[in-house]
Amino acid sequence: MDLDTLLSFNWGIMAPEFTILIVGVLLTVIDLFGPTSVKKNIPKLGLVGVILAFILLVPQYGHDQVSILHDTYLFTPFAYYFKFILLIGAMLIFLMILSNESNKEITDRSEYIYLLLSALLGAMMMASSGDLITLFVGLELLSLSSYIMVGLRKKSLRANEGAMKYVINGSIATAFTLFGMSYIYGVSGSTNLVDISREMSASLGTAEPVATIGFIMMFIGLSFKISTVPFHMWTPDVYEGASTPVTAFLSVISKTAGFVIIMNIFFTIFTGNGEANTSLYDSMLLFIAVLAILSMLVGNLIALRQRNMKRMLAYSSIGHAGYMLIPLTSISQLSVENVWFYLFAYSFMTIGAFMVIYLLEQQKKSEDISIFTGLYQTSPVLAVCMTIFLISLAGIPGTAGFIGKFNIFVGAILAEPSLYILAAVMALGTIISYLYYFNILVQMFIRPPQLEGKVSVRVAESIPLIACVAGTIILGIFPFLALNFFQ
Amino acid sequence: MIYLAWLIPVVPFVSFLCLLWMRKAARSLASWFAVAASAITFGLTLAVFFASFQQGTFTQEWSWLTIGSIDITFGVLLNPLNSLMLLLVSFISFLIHVYSMGYMKGDSRISVYYGYLGLFTSAMLGLVLSPNLLQFYMFWELVGLGSFLLIGFYFYKNSAKQAAKKAFIMTRIGDVGLLIGLILLFWQTNSLRFTDIYTSITAGQVEAGMVTLIAILIFIGAIGKSGQFPLHTWLPDAMEGPTPVSALIHAATMVAAGVYLVAVMYPLYMASAIALTVVACVGAFTAIYAATIGLVQNDIKQVLAYSTISQLGYMMLAMGVLGYTAGVFHLFTHAFFKALLFLAAGSVIHALHTQNIKEMGGLNKKLKVTSFSFLVGALAISGFPLLSGFFSKEEILAAVWADGQYVLFFVALGAAFLTSLYMFRLYFLVFRGEPKKSLDHIQEAPIGMKATMVVLAIFALGIGYVNTPWFGTFLGDWLTEGASFLTGGHHSSPVWIMLAATIVSLGGIALAYYIYEGKKVDQGNWKQSFSGTYRMLSRNYYIDEFYELTFVKGTRGLGMAFHYIEMYVVSGMMDMIQGFFFSIGKTGSKTQNGQTQTYGAVAFLGLVLFMAFYIWKGGY
Repeated sequence: MDLDTLLSFNWGIMAPEFTILIVGVLLTVIDLFGPTSVKKNIPKLGLVGVILAFILLVPQYGHDQVSILHDTYLFTPFAYYFKFILLIGAMLIFLMILSNESNKEITDRSEYIYLLLSALLGAMMMASSGDLITLFVGLELLSLSSYIMVGLRKKSLRANEGAMKYVINGSIATAFTLFGMSYIYGVSGSTNLVDISREMSASLGTAEPVATIGFIMMFIGLSFKISTVPFHMWTPDVYEGASTPVTAFLSVISKTAGFVIIMNIFFTIFTGNGEANTSLYDSMLLFIAVLAILSMLVGNLIALRQRNMKRMLAYSSIGHAGYMLIPLTSISQLSVENVWFYLFAYSFMTIGAFMVIYLLEQQKKSEDISIFTGLYQTSPVLAVCMTIFLISLAGIPGTAGFIGKFNIFVGAILAEPSLYILAAVMALGTIISYLYYFNILVQMFIRPPQLEGKVSVRVAESIPLIACVAGTIILGIFPFLALNFFQ
Repeated sequence: MIYLAWLIPVVPFVSFLCLLWMRKAARSLASWFAVAASAITFGLTLAVFFASFQQGTFTQEWSWLTIGSIDITFGVLLNPLNSLMLLLVSFISFLIHVYSMGYMKGDSRISVYYGYLGLFTSAMLGLVLSPNLLQFYMFWELVGLGSFLLIGFYFYKNSAKQAAKKAFIMTRIGDVGLLIGLILLFWQTNSLRFTDIYTSITAGQVEAGMVTLIAILIFIGAIGKSGQFPLHTWLPDAMEGPTPVSALIHAATMVAAGVYLVAVMYPLYMASAIALTVVACVGAFTAIYAATIGLVQNDIKQVLAYSTISQLGYMMLAMGVLGYTAGVFHLFTHAFFKALLFLAAGSVIHALHTQNIKEMGGLNKKLKVTSFSFLVGALAISGFPLLSGFFSKEEILAAVWADGQYVLFFVALGAAFLTSLYMFRLYFLVFRGEPKKSLDHIQEAPIGMKATMVVLAIFALGIGYVNTPWFGTFLGDWLTEGASFLTGGHHSSPVWIMLAATIVSLGGIALAYYIYEGKKVDQGNWKQSFSGTYRMLSRNYYIDEFYELTFVKGTRGLGMAFHYIEMYVVSGMMDMIQGFFFSIGKTGSKTQNGQTQTYGAVAFLGLVLFMAFYIWKGGY
């Protein structure tokens, strides 16, 4: 390949990725050689980088498909929409980190920031690539950065434990994924998703079982990232060990990236060729459905028993991932839309809930559910914010969570053939989730305060809260804003 | 300009939010702020009204949720009927805002009052603009909420609390009917958009029996909202709210929403003769029934409340006899003169601090503007020739006659007679005769209140000329033009109907004069000789007692029974179910033993199981 071909690519379309990369590298250099006065501002510079990337991303709305270097970078509407929520989520996480700069638990604050940026870059690569190799690189970039971030609270035993478990489980998952990918490569002779798709629909014959095994292994390996059954057990330990902004990151960005790579690989391979290659996918549907049912039940049932807030939200996130698997049981534009909307809504309500927990745990030095007792009396504003996030997580009308659930539910019923069992289990899971979500409401509004100390909300802390409340309510009342945006 | 129609309900809603947010800080400025907001609303409405007058029907819709092929929308619709309502609501609301500045002056919760008023106005305007039944229903409930909050505004009074609760529950009973009707309609026509419903109904896609059922269910909703028999008992109690509120909500706008609902769903009623007859009979019965009760009430607002019920019955009667134009026309004129009467009554209450008409008298010397305004309102509602009520009432009577409902015609005529009788009983007892108490310290209302009364009085005098048999039926023509489903427009009425209406109206006034002003009849004697009838009338035909004994007691008994079932059966089962899930959760969390090799093993086991299943299923 000569220089002219290289320069002929539309590199401008990669501007958001380049921004994150350059800011990340720049911050590493500053951290190594820069003066202390600049070093202090690294978190703010990180936020500026993400905002810049977002500003560069927004005008790409409706841009034609762009392929660079044989689909290793692929700009598609799909990639655009998911990068959109990844960047919004990242901005909220940065605001969350910035809200408490005096947090003494993490000494290496700069590492924290550029690891977050490299993880984000990995997630964005997973959204816009059409090749298994680059997808895998993106996946590993995200995973390796996350492993370190979980362990950043060096002095904390739980953080060390969590990071260790995360690495080990992550490695197993990666092995699964890679093994599955190697089968797919063996059957199709290509790592390019479109090529694979063509090979799959052209002549599979006796190789079909091998391909199916490859897909199942890949799916199970990737289920690690979205923390669904059977790769869900690391979730509570890691969520508990990581510092709360990192937990929010894992719960929102990492999970979004997981769904993105699954949909990217599967939907491209099974529909990329124009005609849907359903016979292969049909044999996988049952597996996905079973995993969805198990995740919804396991996540919501075990959450009932948790008193540690981060563990509770960890289990509830398993349940939410289970809901989001339901649309994946049918390949259509509607299912991508439903997952996208749910993830968008989920970002706001989950980051908001973690923000409230972060704020309370700083002031009360505890993560137990008792930090919420009597919150309505000590800080009514915070109690109302938390109520909004909780009713959205529970899926009560008027909030983003309701619309997300409603779309998935109706989508399951309208699917051909109707997925009544999945819809029923989803309803059941939702009802079970009321028990633990509303328990927090009871603690906040009915119980008298237990732990000493006044709760105060500073301006810096209120910014991410207001953003999350606004997102949760606006998407709940005007869902068409987002749904019309996604076309 | 017309594209800004959606802003009309938004402005008062923003005012509501601001006032509630800053209710402590903004007490002194609250009224000015609210009046400014309602003035902006009215200005916008005027602009939109004229734009829609020129452009004709206008629709703007946004998709709210799309699920498969079902599209749930919200938006605005402007056609002659609802732009007329829009103008009416925002105009009266504006006047009430101005009037309240004087009436509510010094109240410590004035910002809350104006906030609620904004909420109600916003909801009512949203209701009127709705292009589909779902949005209509949402605003319908919101209007009920506004009414509930304002009736209970003096919440420290037990009677006000009770009245608010009663109003909410009674109208909810009606709403259930509406909701069922709505669901049935959606099931039958697959759409809730008014235009789609009209098309399917007129095309005969819905079975006749079903049409009747839906029409009657929706009419039950209208009965609740418009205080028709037998769900009327909340309306007199609702007079516990501040008087300007009674004028706005319980006279001019919200209670008329029921009539408006029937008008909006008119194609449905036209398709079912049975439903039309039900509407007409309920309306006629309510008209005469409430009028008889109004004769003996001693509370100035109660008389007006029963009069409102009676007049709403009149409108329903018109709707039921295919007098679409007549009903809407009467709704329109009634809003003006009934608001006027309430505001004048408010002015009297404001000056005297009593609502009992036995303690009033001779007020026309002191309260000149009020007295004059009340007289205009009373003449208008009685159908005194050439005033607004005369034309609309005559139109209704003509419609009833033209439809051949001769019995109902005489009922309506009787109700008209009673109307002028009780209105002038009120007028003579309150404003004429000798004062019962010293009137030295009594003062006329402040300028803002006087001004609004005068404005309304002018409208009560002249608004009828938009639709007269002599100078052209502009309103009727315009309404008919916008509603293609209407067949006949104006009924060419026999002259004798107009004559009869005039005689009846004047007769009532004359009788009132004879009894109460001329004192030709000993009232005490009269009361005694008909003591049974009198007591029955003054106790509202014992309807409240009847409801208390049957429905309220019955519901309580049923509630008790359910309470025990709940306590022992349901909650026992709930505990069992909850315990079941908790124990599963407990077992589940035991597998979470913290050992990372277990985690890996679970994942691996999962994979192996899947593989095994795949192979067993015949993968190879």
